[in-house]
Amino acid sequence: MVLGTDEFIPLARAQVAARGLPGLPVVTVPHPIGGIPAGAVAAKAGPIVESVLRALTSDPAAASRDPGTPAGDVEAPDDLDRFQAWLQERGWGDGLPAIPPTRERVAAMLAGARRGPDDVVAILVPRLGRATVEAIAANAVMAGALPEHLPVVLAAVEAVADPSFNLQAVQTTTHPCSPLIIVNGPIARRLGMNAAGNVFGQGSRANAAIGRALRLTLQNVGGARPGKEDRATHGQPGKYAYCVAENEAASPWEPLSVERGFAEGDSTVTVCGSEGPHNINDHGSTTPEGIVTTVAGTAAIAGSNNIYLGGEPLIVLGPEHAATAASSGWSKQDFKRAVWDRARVPLARLAPENIERFAAIYPEGFRDKPPETPAPIARDWRDVMVIVAGGAGKHSVFIPTFGSTRSVTRRIAD
Amino acid sequence: MRIVDPIGTSAASGKALAARPRSLEGVTIALLDNSKPNAGVLLERVGALLAARGGARAVRAWSKPGASTGAAPAVIEEIAAAARVALTAAAD
Repeated sequence: MVLGTDEFIPLARAQVAARGLPGLPVVTVPHPIGGIPAGAVAAKAGPIVESVLRALTSDPAAASRDPGTPAGDVEAPDDLDRFQAWLQERGWGDGLPAIPPTRERVAAMLAGARRGPDDVVAILVPRLGRATVEAIAANAVMAGALPEHLPVVLAAVEAVADPSFNLQAVQTTTHPCSPLIIVNGPIARRLGMNAAGNVFGQGSRANAAIGRALRLTLQNVGGARPGKEDRATHGQPGKYAYCVAENEAASPWEPLSVERGFAEGDSTVTVCGSEGPHNINDHGSTTPEGIVTTVAGTAAIAGSNNIYLGGEPLIVLGPEHAATAASSGWSKQDFKRAVWDRARVPLARLAPENIERFAAIYPEGFRDKPPETPAPIARDWRDVMVIVAGGAGKHSVFIPTFGSTRSVTRRIAD
Repeated sequence: MRIVDPIGTSAASGKALAARPRSLEGVTIALLDNSKPNAGVLLERVGALLAARGGARAVRAWSKPGASTGAAPAVIEEIAAAARVALTAAAD
């Protein structure tokens, strides 16, 4: 049986259903368990012992398994305004108006795929939803995507389902992460993707629709509904859409895809379990060391998951910062190593109870260390990710991740 | 109008639950800590109270490698072999 807190009941129920055990008893205590004194936690045990005892010693009622929605078509209101309300009522919307995925529109979308509509691209957790090409296409229509966007969306869905991405946690955590899609290669230009000014902002249909198509697929097929299975404390704006192209033309270094062993002419998507971007303003530096100082100073933060869980924090250098960083012949690897060497959080800046918790999770980094010990922002300098994106201006951004997730790169079949 | 269902089907398959013991008399209780802060505190307290109330033979604890990773299959098998009932935790 499962013990949980009342706040997490929808996630616990979804989890036992997805594992094929809908009758498994769940007993709850009032939220929270974490971040309160141990005595207060132990005191929550008494009132539930009877329920736990009963659950452990009586056969659970044979719960009927949720059959889910049978595959096929659904009747929806013809009126476009009523359709929006209907979509939201069913929990299939993201709050913004969506295009109805009629059979005709989905058929047109499917023309963008080189795969059959029934091909299963991935099984998406927590619901264990079958992400067929057709189901993804339906969500892509809703997102406002065009058929030529579909290959990027399919590759992104395949990437988030890679075990190293840890989609179960990314979909259901209280942390504000969401898959950031980074597109490399010629497809970005062909689709008119924005890699330059306002790259994380509004304005490009391809960036917006591809990002939104992945989000709707994860919410609907994957079954991570906001406030239910998706337990994000705050979430972040990237949960509507979070998709950029690397500004390869303005980069002094090899693109991310080439760094990962793909050929120059290959188009790829990389997904990262990312927080929102935090700005790095440096209008003064004219040397690589200066840029490193500002980037490292911004990245060394006490409240990041990467500090104790590892993972791959991402630095998105604006082209002007990138040019300065490469100006004395530094490679991308030189830059990563220099940032990693400098971006340290002295343990004195962390709360003692938090250090105790970190020590239980990562003893090598935190157990019995003097307060001046510097904690790095990643376990290894090679884990620091660097891409170049954005337009004119003296800004870069820093994007921490969920930590227990690895970025995944897939070639786009276009 | 007719639209294509954006949810699709689920690959979840039903599994049978083991029959429960009539009482905890002489039973070993397994606790599987999900590695969230204080989950172990709650589980241990519930385990101790259960043992006192139900006459369990023993309470044994296992844990997951991290809050966001599943228990190793070997741990699950060990629990199944060692205990008659198991409690785990979800949530913060």
